[in-house]
Amino acid sequence: MPPAGSQPLPMAADAGAAHAAAVRAIAAPGAWWSGADRLAIAAETRAAPACGRCLQDPMSLPGDAPACERSGAGVLPPAAVDAIHGIRNHSGRLTRGWFDRLIDMGLPVEAYVELVAIVASTVIVDTYALGLGHPPPALPRAVPGRRSLERSGAVADAGAWLPLAAEGRAHILRSLGLVPSASALFFSTFEPCYYMREGRAFAIAEPQVELVASRVSAVNECFY
Amino acid sequence: MGAGGGDGGVPHGAWLAALAEAVARWRWQDVAKLREAGSERLGEAAVADAIRVAAGFNGITRVADAIGIRLDAHTASASATLRAQTGIDEFAPPRKWR
Repeated sequence: MPPAGSQPLPMAADAGAAHAAAVRAIAAPGAWWSGADRLAIAAETRAAPACGRCLQDPMSLPGDAPACERSGAGVLPPAAVDAIHGIRNHSGRLTRGWFDRLIDMGLPVEAYVELVAIVASTVIVDTYALGLGHPPPALPRAVPGRRSLERSGAVADAGAWLPLAAEGRAHILRSLGLVPSASALFFSTFEPCYYMREGRAFAIAEPQVELVASRVSAVNECFY
Repeated sequence: MGAGGGDGGVPHGAWLAALAEAVARWRWQDVAKLREAGSERLGEAAVADAIRVAAGFNGITRVADAIGIRLDAHTASASATLRAQTGIDEFAPPRKWR
């Protein structure tokens, strides 16, 4: 929750709309997770910072004993909980071995990609709201329906842990291409936050934007 | 997704770096103080947009690290100066891909 007594700043209309749409999209059935599952992933993302195991032993990764604490949702398999806690709490230290263990636990690669998109989108939505001094948006009710089991055939090995979209210059833009709907969810959430389209302007200058971006990346120990 | 420290030689760089770090670490009390101080100096729109960018990069860094992507030629070229200045390649240990 935002600190009491501080004056919140208004959300930008485009970011507010994009993030509201992201929350609604998370509640809908996805490719490899149901709407209820996807909401549970978002809820677990919010609960992960309070995981006693992650707090007590921040240098080991989820999946190492003991197991991470689940939030009240309780509908996700252990591999998904480990994945969420790893991405939310320890993203700069994730390794190929950690990823392989999740897959060995039975988490399909496609489901992992979709989970990454939901966790990262939730992080953006919540960080923006809390940063401005607002509470994170409430999660809606799950939309019933069937999973699409979508898997793109237009992928290629680019040396990552899993196949990326075959087309595109920057690997980050190709990163979620194995499940196009997951890629669409994430990049529609991220789009208002950077120079993703022609004409995007911010109230701070580009060198200031890049400074903020690089500082966040450094804190998160991200090399890319 | 890059790295950096200090003010980067840009206007209000030290304040922006402090805000970015507080946001990335989810230190909301610190963010609230920086937000109020920054609103007086830069204006609310500038503060809000700095938080917007920080929020986006708090998410996209997680995608990069969770997918295990490697640096591509396009991004390497675009970030060459920044990488040389900040030594961010240290965040890419070989064990990340083993």
